[in-house]
Amino acid sequence: MAEDHGSIEFEFDGHRVRAESGQTVAGALHAAGEHIISRSFKYHRPRGLLCMSGRCPNCICTVDGTPNVRICTQAAKPGMVVKSQNAWPSVKFDLLRIFDKLHRFMPVGFYYKRMYKPRWMWPVWEKIIRRIAGLGTINREHGAEGVYDKQNLFTDVAVIGGGLAGLNAALAAADAGVTVTLIDEQPALGGHLRHDPELVEPISDLIRRVSEHPAITVISSAGVFGCYEGNYLGIQQGQRMIRLRAAQVIVATGCWERPLIFENNDLPGVMLASGVQRLLHLDHCQFPGEAVVVTDNAQGYRVAKQLKAAGTRVSAIIDVRDNPSETADGIRTFRGHTIISASGSRHVNGAVIAPLAGHPRQSISCRWIVQAVGFTPANSLLYQNGCKLRYDESLDQAAVIQHAPAMHSAGTVNGLHDPRDAASDGQRAGLAAAEALCSPCLSVSNPSVETALETQSHRGETAPMCHYVSPSDAKKKFVCLCEDVTEKDICDAIDEGYSNIETLKRYSTVSMGPCQGKMCQSASIAICARHNGQSIAETGVTTARPPEQPLPLGVLAGRTLHFSLIRRTPMHAWHEQAGAKMGDAGNWKRPQVYSSVPQEYEAVRQRAGLIDVSTLGKIELRGADVVQFLEFIYPNRFANLKLGRVRYGVICDDAGILLDDGTIARLGDDRFFLTTTTGNADAIDSWFRWWLAARPEWDVRMTNVSASYAAMNLAGPRSREVLKKLTDADLSSDAMPYLAASECTIAGVSVIVLRIGFVGELGYEIHVPSQFGLHVWEAILEAGREFSIAPFGLEAQRVLRLEKKHLLPGIDTDALSNPLEADLPWIVKLDKADFIGKESLARAQQRGDRNKLIGFRLSEPVVPDLASLVLCDGKLGGRITSCGYSPAVGGTIGLAWVPANLAGNGQTIQIQVNGRTIPAVVQDEPFYDPSGAKLKS
Amino acid sequence: MSFEIDCPNCGCRPVWEYHYGGTPRQRPDGSATERQWAEYLYNRPNVAGEQTEWWYHRSACKLWFLVRRDTRTNQVLTTKRFAPQEEASGG
Repeated sequence: MAEDHGSIEFEFDGHRVRAESGQTVAGALHAAGEHIISRSFKYHRPRGLLCMSGRCPNCICTVDGTPNVRICTQAAKPGMVVKSQNAWPSVKFDLLRIFDKLHRFMPVGFYYKRMYKPRWMWPVWEKIIRRIAGLGTINREHGAEGVYDKQNLFTDVAVIGGGLAGLNAALAAADAGVTVTLIDEQPALGGHLRHDPELVEPISDLIRRVSEHPAITVISSAGVFGCYEGNYLGIQQGQRMIRLRAAQVIVATGCWERPLIFENNDLPGVMLASGVQRLLHLDHCQFPGEAVVVTDNAQGYRVAKQLKAAGTRVSAIIDVRDNPSETADGIRTFRGHTIISASGSRHVNGAVIAPLAGHPRQSISCRWIVQAVGFTPANSLLYQNGCKLRYDESLDQAAVIQHAPAMHSAGTVNGLHDPRDAASDGQRAGLAAAEALCSPCLSVSNPSVETALETQSHRGETAPMCHYVSPSDAKKKFVCLCEDVTEKDICDAIDEGYSNIETLKRYSTVSMGPCQGKMCQSASIAICARHNGQSIAETGVTTARPPEQPLPLGVLAGRTLHFSLIRRTPMHAWHEQAGAKMGDAGNWKRPQVYSSVPQEYEAVRQRAGLIDVSTLGKIELRGADVVQFLEFIYPNRFANLKLGRVRYGVICDDAGILLDDGTIARLGDDRFFLTTTTGNADAIDSWFRWWLAARPEWDVRMTNVSASYAAMNLAGPRSREVLKKLTDADLSSDAMPYLAASECTIAGVSVIVLRIGFVGELGYEIHVPSQFGLHVWEAILEAGREFSIAPFGLEAQRVLRLEKKHLLPGIDTDALSNPLEADLPWIVKLDKADFIGKESLARAQQRGDRNKLIGFRLSEPVVPDLASLVLCDGKLGGRITSCGYSPAVGGTIGLAWVPANLAGNGQTIQIQVNGRTIPAVVQDEPFYDPSGAKLKS
Repeated sequence: MSFEIDCPNCGCRPVWEYHYGGTPRQRPDGSATERQWAEYLYNRPNVAGEQTEWWYHRSACKLWFLVRRDTRTNQVLTTKRFAPQEEASGG
């Protein structure tokens, strides 16, 4: 026992508890005689320590404000505040235990049957149920300490489980020359040998060799919660999520001890043998008083001996088998017997035992009932990654019949409970994994599971007893401790028709609680099989899905800051310095507004404005077949596009749906410069490459120059005068008319200038090599100072383009919009040879327009929200896609999709705004400069 | 989805570097019926088993290439560049 100086104090439900340093919270509570740790989910029955391995739900408490912490794996720390959950007023005296007496009114699925009539009562019931049943409460003020983080790792071989098989596997693989990562959920290696010391020779030497091996990395106190395809492991280590990519995975996760189902099997004082061993050997606790051990294997005899050595009086061993090979000196042994019930109300004070037939019964007084009746293999990671398993009666567990590629299993998860077998199976798996890496052409499946199993049968092990449930008709035989599901509940559910194991699970909620079936899976399958008159193999198992164990959401959310991409234009710093309000456009940061929308609007319409459009997608195409390619990609014509000219184009898919728009400039006979919208830059890049990939015979060479060029749009009636100061090029409308494209020098930099006008003014879109973007930007603003030039942002641009009725793909169009209906019928040249979307557009034209994108003027000075409804005869007819106040019109204008019969110029449509209906007039012409005189000036 | 794909240019990379492009389909010509067009545009085979697919290495080399994948297990069997003589016209 620890000396005084090694002890610490913490608080449990308001009083102080002393713990040895290194002891778990649960161990300290056990030593202090606190045996009621929690109250059960539904009936509020007292529950005490059971598994001591972080599996069962019994020790879930709130620790320092964090709910649902399993205190059996939580080391005690000085000053820690531990509170019990789901009890009122306290875990020791819980008035809600009244539900235990009312159980016959709450049969399985009672809330489905009783609480839906009348219907409006369900929300009320739900609130009540949530208050009185369930787990801890999240403290919203209490955030997690530190940060949740993510780590990405890779390895040749990942070994999951640091027990005997895992250690041997890791060592064998590492010795064969590959890198190994060993993941173990305990704070120290050794698996169950840590608390079952008599099982084999000490393994400290093995652990030392693994720890010191240069090719082995050990990740301790870490649970693998998911094994995803491609051997991608999700691992939780405290507040960190580790994502580990492994070329080969060895699952050596061992097994969980399973409880026996008998009456009152949930009383504090009923424990699993491995839980008792953990308390004895890891937490240095004692079990004062008398104990009864019920068992069907050698572990029961070992734990009886260990208890005896620790001072407990073991009054009986109840052995399910008739002729066990083990004997216990000086302990009364009942062969062919089992336990029928535990007695006591707050703690065990006795046990009733009987032969397997159920009679005659006799009582034994005891304080502890220790169960050692078999194991459930921890195989969910194998299932998750696609291994095929089948229930094997000779092992009384599911065994792998086919491994997923690059996956192996070793040790007790394969049913090898003898340490010698587990060790050699680990070595075999380690070597197999290493071999698969060294000669990947060899088959990756490994057939040697059978050989391992044969070893075991050669040793003449007796067949297991498959004893899951003790024979009695009692009602309080708990199968699922998490959700308070009894044997009777399961049988009732099957009688009601939920006989399939998957529907049974969902209806009865068995195995759906915090333990996720680790305590109850075997028994629930056995009961389901028995009640259906099927074999266990026929009954099957429920599907295993990640996470394998409950996971704090913070671990999944984590911080991913360093992975998020932020794109900034070459002029970004200037915008920030100018006080621009920046906004997100995909990954880009773009100026929304510098001064105010009216000021910027006025600058563009009256004088000159400059906007950063570097975010546009830019593609350069060269080659003899570029014209052919453009003719195929775009619905409009490009064969007749002259050198030095630019043309607007839209891109459709083969269903005729408008994907994007942009400009196409011809800079040489077989050299073209294209722009796409900001949002679709990557999609169009990929779209072009896709069509080209299948046509390698076409001479089209494509370069994405989006990041190579900064771009800016100089617009406004004075923009020619501004630009003139910076170039020798002839900017007159004869030399450079509307829709001219030229390469010239501006402010000493070679640039591409396109005379286009998205905002409806005389304008120049200037593409500048990125490194000179800021220089040209500043030069233009300096040159424009005498004309009171102003930079303008996206918000002003939205208004300016809306006055010109220019649509924005993806905002004014969606996955049902074709260019015929989107007010661009002139762009579709159906007399052209084949192009993408031609067939569908031809059919759409034949059919006639169903809906149309139209411009409208609202009759009142309000600005409706986007997506406000357009009503026809009081019914939904269409919706607004853009709208805003237009200074040119002096009122609200917008774009809307309306039925074709309402789309005529001058027709009145009704728009719903804040519950009122406001009329608006359809207008064909642009709202500003309808003739385009300013644009072409 | 966490499997890996062997890009013909870059080698083995996680799937999130790529973009799925569907199975290669023969694009009908002008003489095709409405039904054939509808089949091409809107129907997908949805095979439970091995199929050939277009994948695009969008986060790296921007190559469109062909992948043979088992849709039940996401096991990638082979990857290769498009070769016109072997494949029915893609896209």
